[in-house]
Amino acid sequence: MDMYALRTLRRHPLRLALTIGGVALCIILMFFLLAVYRGAADGSVDYIRRNPADLWILQQNATNILRGSSLVSEVESRAVAETPGVAEVSTVLFLLSAVRKGDKLGTVFLAGYDPAKSMGGPPEIETGRNVEADGEIVLDRAFARKFGFRDGDEVRLQDRRFKVVGTCTGTNAFVIQYAFVTLKSARELIGIPGLATCILVRIVPGAETAAVQRAIRGRLPRVEAYDHATFLANNVREMRSGFLPLLYTVAAIGGIVLTAILSLLLSVNILERQKDFAILKTLGSPLRFLWGMVVKQALLIASLSGLVALGLFFPLVRTIERISPEVGTKTTPGQVLAVLAAVEIMSLASSLVSIRRLRRIYYLEAFA
Amino acid sequence: MNDEASSIPLVSADHVVKIFNGGGQRSAAVRGVSLEARRGELILLLGPSGSGKTTLLTLMAGLCRPSEGKITLFGRSLADYARAELQRLRARKMGFVFQTFLLLDSLTVRENVEIVLRFSGSSKTGRSERAFGLLRDLGIASLAGKFPATLSQGQKQRVAIARAVANDAELILADEPTGSLETNQGIAIIRLLHALAKDRGKCVIVASHDLRLAEYADRILRLEDGCVVREEEGPSISGTCSPAKGRSGDAPAPPDPARSCGAGYG
Repeated sequence: MDMYALRTLRRHPLRLALTIGGVALCIILMFFLLAVYRGAADGSVDYIRRNPADLWILQQNATNILRGSSLVSEVESRAVAETPGVAEVSTVLFLLSAVRKGDKLGTVFLAGYDPAKSMGGPPEIETGRNVEADGEIVLDRAFARKFGFRDGDEVRLQDRRFKVVGTCTGTNAFVIQYAFVTLKSARELIGIPGLATCILVRIVPGAETAAVQRAIRGRLPRVEAYDHATFLANNVREMRSGFLPLLYTVAAIGGIVLTAILSLLLSVNILERQKDFAILKTLGSPLRFLWGMVVKQALLIASLSGLVALGLFFPLVRTIERISPEVGTKTTPGQVLAVLAAVEIMSLASSLVSIRRLRRIYYLEAFA
Repeated sequence: MNDEASSIPLVSADHVVKIFNGGGQRSAAVRGVSLEARRGELILLLGPSGSGKTTLLTLMAGLCRPSEGKITLFGRSLADYARAELQRLRARKMGFVFQTFLLLDSLTVRENVEIVLRFSGSSKTGRSERAFGLLRDLGIASLAGKFPATLSQGQKQRVAIARAVANDAELILADEPTGSLETNQGIAIIRLLHALAKDRGKCVIVASHDLRLAEYADRILRLEDGCVVREEEGPSISGTCSPAKGRSGDAPAPPDPARSCGAGYG
């Protein structure tokens, strides 16, 4: 009877193909959302994750750099540097800035840092070199590709000229990309000397992080000192709170559409084969047997759609990344398995809808 | 089959009324019909379209409940059966033959027969052997792998009969079994049903408007407008239709489940 489930589906190849296509598109949508989320999640916090700072000092009540404002001063930076247990400090100023070259215009999350320090710069240089002097800029790779900026290009930030000396990775936060200049250049852009967003700290090897945190808080009551893990978690949480609701909503819509498509096909199949089901009931088929057939059809379509989706997804992602380089995606086997498992569950849910219809098939329809 | 067993009605209807409510109108399809059917009997419900014979057949199968009166199935009131019990009863003790055969066109001939055995709880290997044995007995073993759409009407009805007896049903209910067949094919099927009653001791109830069937029936109930207008003994009882005559045509011998399926059959 397993063959019955398969053969009845095969009787309408076009309908089967359209259903598999529709379900596969929903699966691709879910794959894509997860891949974008993973890419954005990693990209948004990669800068923090790969930064060698042991402590992040921000203005009190500022918990992250993604969606919060923090102002610290050069005076506070010096005070931190003088705190026992602190080996090195690096002051960083973040600001949103437009980058222009001719008619090409994009906005970056500009990080002004001291290239002489080991903290605050790009996680990884892909082309060219790091910033070494004022008037130089390193752009995120995706941003540079999107706007066609190349190493050696001269770009304008406000009324100042910068030379692109390299591109970097680990700095694509999906909605915005990082760029790096010297701290002095960044301060000149906002016109306020001595201002920064945060102070990065490396502690002396062997020193206790918590003790250094306490010491900084004791000296500077206006700031908060986060250890690396806490600060990373803060930023991840912030990124998720802004991103996940949208992701979940779209994924849920995809799931509902998928379930609806499957339910529709299964219901149409039941309606078309209503007499078959009435015959089977008359011949003594238990309801669970009939439902089992519908479940098998649902699982079969879901599995075939999953295979089609897998076959199409990766070429599609490569195409999208070529067209929109800022769409940084990341797909893991775990994500793929999670989506496929969810699809199988949704296919089961769609077959549940049909149980009621199966129950209502009347024996006498076999005699009609 | 001993006399005592054959004297107990396998199914009986006692002043059964069936009223359908459709579109706000009440329509009585069966009005006060009484009937008893025993093992080894072939009972013919004879009447024109709309006379209520199919409804009576479905009532006797427990596929619907009477509006009034009482149906007794295998010694127990239909009202006392739970839904699941009736389903098991149909799977294990009843067989159905339909006018348009109603084979599942997505399944092969063999699979069409096997499916009933699945419902009756046979093992997977047992199912396959039984189905093939029945098809062989009915002379259609060569069709086992074919799909119903490729068969003639007569072949389809033989497959339907194989399906009806696959579970060694005690009660076989046939609705217009010759309705879609040519004359010769129809006679062959009639003889097959007759032989199932006489040689295998099955209780066969046939609903039909085909007068040819009357020659093979033990009893004939003539229905009009849901009422039995006449009940008469058929020539099968009075001796005009001998078993020898019944098998003299082109009908194969009725399927022998014991031979086909081994000692475990039924």
